[in-house]
Order: sequence, then structure tokens, then C-alpha cells
Amino acid sequence: MAARPWWRIGWRNLGRNRRRSLITIAALAVGYFSVVLLVGWWDGVVVEMINNGTGILSGQLQVHSAAYLPDRNVYETIGGPDGTDVTAIIAGVTADPAVEGAAPRVYGGGLVSFGNATTAAAFLGIDPELEPRVSRLMDALSSGRPPARGTNEILVGVEMARILGVEPGAEVVVVAPAVDGSLGNDLFVVSGVFTSGLADLDRTFALLPIDALQALMVLDPGRVHEIAAAVPDPWDAPAAATRLHSALGATDGALAVESWTDLRPELVEYAQLSQSFQWVLLVIVFGMAIFGVANTMLMATFERRHEFALLLALGAAPRGIVWSVVVEAIALGAIGLLVGAAVTGPVLVWWHNAPPDLSWLVGDFTMAGALVRPVLRVEYPWSMAVQSALALFATAALAALYPAMRAARVPPADTLSGR
Amino acid sequence: MRRAKLLARLALRNVRRQTRRSILTASAMVLGVAVLVFSRALGDGAHEDWIDQGVRLGKGHIAIQHPRFQQSRHLDDRLTPRALALAERALAEPDIAARVTAVAPRLEIQGLANSATGAIPVFVTGVDPEIEAGFSKLGDRVVEGRYLEDGDRLHAFVGQRLAERLDLELDSRLVLTGQDATGEIAGQFVRVVGIFRTGLPEADEGIVHIPLRTAQEWLQVGGAVTTLAVLVASGWDMPAVLDDLDAALAEDASEVAALGWREAMPELDAAIRIDDYGDYLFHLILFVIVGLAIVNTVLMSVLYRTREFGVLRALGLTKGETAGVVFGEGVLLTLVSGLLGMVVGFAFTWVFFRNGLDYSGLLDSEFTISGILLEPVIVPIFRMVQVFQSLGSIVVIGVLASLYPAYRATRIDVAEAMKFEA
Amino acid sequence: MACGGCDYWEVDVYPIAVRVSRVSWLRRLAPYALLTLVLFLLPSQLSAQTDAREIVDRVDRLLRGRSSRGTMRMDVVTAHWSRSMQMRIWSLGTEYALIRLLAPPKDAGTATLKSGEDMWNYLPRVDRTIKLPASLMGASWMGSHFTNDDLVKESRIIEDYDIEIGYEGARNGVEVWEFVLTPKPEAAVVWGRIEEQVRQGDLMPVWARYYDDRGELARSITFEDFRSMGGRLVPARMVIRPADKPTESTTITYLDLEFDIALDASFFSLRRLQSDRGSD
Repeated sequence: MAARPWWRIGWRNLGRNRRRSLITIAALAVGYFSVVLLVGWWDGVVVEMINNGTGILSGQLQVHSAAYLPDRNVYETIGGPDGTDVTAIIAGVTADPAVEGAAPRVYGGGLVSFGNATTAAAFLGIDPELEPRVSRLMDALSSGRPPARGTNEILVGVEMARILGVEPGAEVVVVAPAVDGSLGNDLFVVSGVFTSGLADLDRTFALLPIDALQALMVLDPGRVHEIAAAVPDPWDAPAAATRLHSALGATDGALAVESWTDLRPELVEYAQLSQSFQWVLLVIVFGMAIFGVANTMLMATFERRHEFALLLALGAAPRGIVWSVVVEAIALGAIGLLVGAAVTGPVLVWWHNAPPDLSWLVGDFTMAGALVRPVLRVEYPWSMAVQSALALFATAALAALYPAMRAARVPPADTLSGR
Repeated sequence: MRRAKLLARLALRNVRRQTRRSILTASAMVLGVAVLVFSRALGDGAHEDWIDQGVRLGKGHIAIQHPRFQQSRHLDDRLTPRALALAERALAEPDIAARVTAVAPRLEIQGLANSATGAIPVFVTGVDPEIEAGFSKLGDRVVEGRYLEDGDRLHAFVGQRLAERLDLELDSRLVLTGQDATGEIAGQFVRVVGIFRTGLPEADEGIVHIPLRTAQEWLQVGGAVTTLAVLVASGWDMPAVLDDLDAALAEDASEVAALGWREAMPELDAAIRIDDYGDYLFHLILFVIVGLAIVNTVLMSVLYRTREFGVLRALGLTKGETAGVVFGEGVLLTLVSGLLGMVVGFAFTWVFFRNGLDYSGLLDSEFTISGILLEPVIVPIFRMVQVFQSLGSIVVIGVLASLYPAYRATRIDVAEAMKFEA
Repeated sequence: MACGGCDYWEVDVYPIAVRVSRVSWLRRLAPYALLTLVLFLLPSQLSAQTDAREIVDRVDRLLRGRSSRGTMRMDVVTAHWSRSMQMRIWSLGTEYALIRLLAPPKDAGTATLKSGEDMWNYLPRVDRTIKLPASLMGASWMGSHFTNDDLVKESRIIEDYDIEIGYEGARNGVEVWEFVLTPKPEAAVVWGRIEEQVRQGDLMPVWARYYDDRGELARSITFEDFRSMGGRLVPARMVIRPADKPTESTTITYLDLEFDIALDASFFSLRRLQSDRGSD
């Protein structure tokens, strides 16, 4: 059987009833568009959630001494008591293509006192220039500014500020036990107050310049507890961690490089869960599209039954007719996909790079203070886009099968005579 | 009037005549609505579940406390017996009491748990064992021993991580220290009577339950409590009950205040809202697709019957009436299939999932959201609101989808139509 | 203050919940510290027929109303560092105490004042006085293994424990009693049992052992170098060792000690906390 005429017949049948074809194409395109966009949005929500969970303070990737976690033993600095070349490690981490920025951290505990008020505090020593690339905490200032390197300045949470009764400019006493057993203490000036919206952060955390905290705790400049890194696309973080593990020479077991997937497994769970629900969406949407296409094809074949009857009477193989109908459906699918992709693509790009801000809709979204942005940012759902395309074709083909078979079994004589 | 009836019969008959086509369109509608119903029921169930789990571990749907307590968390800002009486009187009001399922009194402070191994900061809650067992369901998460019971005095219920870090077993001694009402640090001896595991590290390390009376004696507060946690029959009742309580407590606002869970647990609120928006989006998409399918079909049926409509017009049917017939067909089709879809949807959900949709197979370990551990089972919830919303949606779709075909029907040129074959 | 003598402190950086927790490797020394101080002030002779409870009770009551002044050296050995501090102590009954660091030079002048249930620290480097709130009473004192609470709380051994004589006889050729202290049913103490060996002849303690609830040894204190100071026989050295970390210890050595000196409550003032002048 020569297939070529059936191809052309099928293709040209599309134009026979433009309006109907257009509507069917529209339905398929809409289905594609909506599935891909919804999944893109869903993925965007998951990424936003991950970024909120990791972007406020912890970063998407962390380097520690292997013995540092889970207890956060203050003596276990990277490289042990001798410390390490911090600049070199930071350079090594930022050299990875997935990493956007890295910053060193020192952790300590102690207390902060102002006048008669004293409160326990968890101290975080940061590099004020490198830190903003990793965490967003210093963006969440409700007053003042971040502490400057080389000074004795301190950034406290809004709850701590309230307990102590301090404002930017106040002079506080900071006490922190040092690693040599002595009691480090010094005067610090409050440079600013942050509001993360997370009660525990706001009450217990205080940020200091890393060199000031090291001096307080009698740590050499080469001794830090953590290098935290930002990986803008959080899903790149695990691979980056593996790469850095060998790149930093961590294979001897002294160094641990971990991504947020190790540190915050519950976030991974949620992402996986939402993925499985995406499948459900796909099935539903295209399941319904099948009906639409089937309907269209049924009508098309019905109105052309005389034609088929004629062709059959002339000796055409039923298979050919089936094929022509199927081709027509697939062509519908192809054009629908093209249209759908043509519309979806630009919208995805637009809403990925300039996501619409939904704060007007969501209102006062004070979940994690100012750091949760109700923006509809979409991620590129590559695999879903491909799967949807396949589903679309499958839908078209399947929907056409029954009508095609019916078309091929048109009784030639009866039909031609008008019954 | 007679005309209208005639038109209606025409519409009805037309739908029946094109059975195959009607059925196909109807199928799309049925499936669409069934999916809608199914997902709404499950979605509502899931949210209710989140909220329920969250508020049980937290402070109930509504927390009644001293107005400053939420911020200060200090024992000084507690509910005195007088304030407590005021609150209880408010809760006893008939239309409030009818919707409240449980009221748990609690005395909570931040203190230290001490053992021979060390000291760890914990959140100590003095509870009424019988009420609390049904309230926070921590008793369901026992891994060793038992939850507190009525009559317990020097007993404590602790989390697994705390037990590990302080090297506690069942019956181990534990000393709780905290600042009492006089401002002094006081110690209280207790023995571990049960160990729980929620899967949430913060809870497993930070929560300790002791009997309320023991806590009151330890902290020397007499009959006072810090919080009355209120559980309402259904999460959807909460706003109404909260309003009623606010009204009832308005005069004593300096001593007593009611706080809804949305304020007390903003993270949970946010998570649910995001999920809601996702659902709305999904439903919108469903509607669009179904709507398009209907437009397609009805339009096709109109174009197919060009000649027929031509004849009808020639016989005197006006443009408006033609449109009316087509419109009626579309709406009828939509309504019937929509209702069928609703029935199918509800039946399907009820028959297969009324005990819950178990998705534990999709997960490796416990699933938490906004700090709440969830059982991986969603029990669907059926509400009248869902029915009305579905009906409404069906009608809207039907109407909108029938408009264009109806319009096209009026544009049939009578003379040209005659040239068509049937 | 967080626990400076601890091996580590912990901060869990969950954005959802953050807390600071400390694990002090050497726990509440209150009864022991004060018991020890108390025993220093025992008259050198006591009738051997007095029963155990009376001994401890009498000693406890003896301390009240007495004053003392001394110089002490504290050597702390941990897995990560070793440190030696020298300090001057004044005390009045159980209500008042003033401790000032003399060495090492970096910390000289650091002082702690206890007055009733309140406690202040003076930090010479920044010339500031910090009042410690009740919530920080569990934290370590001056980076040592004593907690603030140990210094502030009054001895409650008699009220909290039942005392029995576990052994009465000779050990290493010396006649001793071994007391067994078991907590009373509802006493708010973390120890399951305390055992102490005391020499019958001069009522000097030899060792004290602290057991947890399950009967496992948690830590022990040995008393050494008995000599006469300020007119009394006292153990001049105490060594505290945790059972789970045998390489770590704290050693307290008394360099000089005087009793019943002229001190009254007005001596223990905030001004005294900050300045050296006028005290000796």
C-alpha cells in the first residue's frame, strides 16, 4: 500500500473544516499550555520554598569539618585546630559553575547585656562583603545597617533588641566563652536590627564581623566553622556538593561538603510529593482532551462518510482510510502542540525572569516576614513539557482510533445510496 | 409561553437525536466535574487534616490567653483564676459551646530539664491528662511507657531526643527548673512515665508534659494557667467562633484575649493559602478545557444542522428563538452531564476513598509541612459548599460555552442554508 | 553565660526553630561545693557517737553566721584546653560571696558577686557589670565547671537526702565512715545516690561519689592535702573528675584561708565588685 496519498489526504482534510480544526487545536493547545504552566508554577513554588528554607540563613550548600555536625562542636573548625586557608577554600567553592557565592562563618554562644538586661545569644561571625551573596538575613533590616568588617559592631534580632531595650547606636557588652577556656568579653555597638519573622532567629541570633568574633573567642583568622554557599538553582546543589567534595580534596574524610538535600531532607520530601501529583494532573488534562479530539474526529468522519464509501468502493484498502484519519488527528496534535508551545514558551520565559508580584492578591503575607515574596515565579519544567507533548500526541492518536475504524467500516453501497 | 415550551422540546429532542455526539461531550463534562468534585473533597480533607494536626500540637484552633502573653511568653502574663472564670463563662455560651469540642487548660513555661548528664532548655507544659490525651494526640505517638493519666502527679512525658540527650529511660528521675511566679528559680522532681516520637526534632527534644496541678504547685501560681486551647468542631467554624468569643470577652479585654490559629501559626496559614491558590488554578484549567470541548460540540452540531435550522427559520422561528434553542441544548447538555459528573465524583470518592487516600507509598520517611508531621492519608471531606460551588461552575460553563454557538445559529442565512444537505 | 568549661555548645540552625543548648560535662556541684566549704569549717574534734545526720546537719548549721576569706587556685583540664586561675574569695554565711580573679593576667580583676539570690559579674576589660538574670543560672560560672546556680543556691543536703552510714571501719588503715545519701522521695535533685567517705578521727572528707538514677557513677571528687589553715584542719585540694571523660578534671587548691574575720553584709556591694581598693 502506498502510504503517501493517505498522508496528504489526511493532512488536507484538516483544512476542510477550518473552524472545527481550529477549535480542536485550541483545546489541545490550551491543555498543553495549562499543564506546562501549572507545573512550572508548582515547581516555582517548591523552589521558592526551598530558597526560603535555605536562603535566609543556612545557604544551599555547606562545607564543614567532618566532625562539626551534628553537635556543632565549637572546637571543630575546618582543618582542625590549625585552621585552613579560608580564602583558598572560598575560591575553590565559588569556582564551581553552580555556585554563585560563598562566605565563611564562625559560630559561638554567650550573652549580650545592656544596662540591667542580659540575654543568652547565639553568635554568628560573618564577612559583611561575602555574606549577602549567600544569605538574605542582612536584607531584612528593620533599622540601621549591617556590621562592618574590622569594627566591633553587632546586628541583633528585633526580639533581642526589644528584650534588651536597644536601638542602633547602643553600646552592649558581649560575652562569649573562648576556645582556650577564658571568657571573651568586649563592648560592641549595635549597628542595626533585623526582622526575619522567625521568632527564634529574632530572639537568639546576633551577627558580628567574623574577625571580631574570632578575636573574642581566641580563634586564629584561619579558623572558621563553616563555608556556606549559594546555589541559585537549588536542584544543582547535590551535584555541586559531589563535585566540590573531590575538588576540595575532601576525599580523606576530614572535610564534609553537604547540600540542603542532606541538611533539610524534609524539603526534598515535599518536592517529591508535588512531582507525583503532577503526573495526576497530566493524566486528567489529557484524558479530557481525548474526548474533545474524539468528538471532532467522529464528526469529521461522519460528514465525510460518502467520501470514504466512494474510496472503498473504488478499491481502497480500509487500512489506508484508517491511516488518513489518524494522520489528520496527529496533524491536529502537531499543530496544537506548536501553537501551545509557541504560547507557553514566551509566557514561561516572561514569568521566569519577571514574575508577576501577587502581593496584592495574597495581602499581608507575613509568614516569614519580609523574606517570603508572593511572586508567581515559574521554573522551566523541561521534563513535564516533553511528557505533555508526548501525552498530547498519544491523546490525538488514541482519540482518532475509534472514529478511524468506524470510518473504514462504512458500508460503501448503503452509504452511497444515501442510507 | 407555548413557544417557550416548544423551544424547550426542540432543544431536548435535538440533544437526544445526536446521541453519540452528546455522549462524547457529556463524557468530557462528566469526567471534568467528577475530577473537580474528587479533588475538592480531597483538597478540603487535606487542609482540614493539616489544620487539625497543626492546631492540636499547637494551641488549638483558638487560644485564650492574657493579651500580652503571645509576645512576652512570661509567667507574669497568665490567666488568673478570675480571668479563667471569665473565659469559661464565655465558652459556656450556648452557641459557642455547641461548636467547641475540647478546651484544654495549659500552664506553659520555658525552663530547663536537668539530669545527671546535663541540662537542656525545654518547653514545659502542665496539662490536664484526660483532656490533653484527646487533644494533642501526643499519646498516640508513644514509643515507650504511656501518656499521663488522671491522678498522675510526679510524672513527665518527654520526647525521644530529649531522652537520648539526657540519658533518660522509663522511670528515670528528671528535675525541671524554671522561674516561678515569685521570680525565683524553682526545681521540680518528676519521673519519666512515657517517651514519645513525633519525627519533628524540635518537638522530640523540646516538649515536656507534666500534670497541670504539679506545674501549678511548682510555679506557685495557684489555680492560674497560661493558655486555654480550644478545639472547634471543624476548621471552617473557627472564624465564626472566634468572632463570638471576641464579642463575649470584649469587656475583659485587658485580662483575656482570644487568638485564632492563623495568627498563632502564620506558617501553617501561609502553606494552606499557597495550596489553595494552586487548587484554584487547577480548577480554572479544568473548566477551560471542558468549556472548549462543549463549545466545540455544540458548535458542530449547529453547523451540521444548518439546513434544519434554515427550514425552521423559514417556518417562522425567529433568530432569537433559534439562538434560544441552541443555547438551551448547550445548557441542558451541560447540566445533565454536570450533574451526572457530580454524582459520579461523589460516589467514586465515597466508595473508594472515604477512609482516606493513602499516599505513603510515595514517601520514604515522615512528611512534614510548616513544622507539622502529617500522616500520609487524606480523608476526603464533603461539604454542602462544594456541591453549590460545583453546580455553580457547571452552570457557568454551560452558559458561557453555549453562547457562541447560539450566536452562530442566528447567523445562518436562510436561503443559503437550504442548499445544504441534511 | 554559656558554658565555657563545657566541651561544646550547640546551636541548631533550623530557620523554623532555633535554640541554644548547653551540655555541661560537670554538673551541679552545688551540694558538693558547699558541702566541701562547709566541711572546712568543722571543728577538729567531734564526738564519734553523733549519728550521720547530726554530723552533716551540725556542719551545715555551723556554717551560718561564719565568715571566711581565702586565696584559691583552680586548674581546669579539658580535652581542648588547660587553664589555671587564681582567685580571692570572701564569704559571709551562705548569703554573700565575692570572688575576684587574680590570674591569669588577661582575666585579672574579673569578679563575681553573690548577694542573696542575685548575681553579678564584673568584667574589667570593658569595665562593665552584668547582672545575671534568673534564666541564666544554669550557665557556667566564669568559664569553670561550676554553674552560677551552684554559687547562688543554698545547701539543701539535709532537706533533700536521707543519710545513712554504709560502712564504718578501717580503710587503708584509717577509721572512716562511708555515708550513703539517697534522695528523699520528691527532692528536686538529679542524683540517684551520693556516697562519701569521711575520716572518723578528724571528720575530713576523703572522697565523694555521685551516681545517676540507674546507679552508674557520674563523677567523683577526691579530697587531698589535709593541713591546718586559719586554725582549722581542711583538705587543701579537691579534684573533680567526670566518670565518662577520665582525662578531664578540675582541681581546686587553697593557698590560704582565714575564718571568722570581720566582715559584714555591707562589704558585699557592687562598688566592691568593681574596685580593688579597700579589700585585702
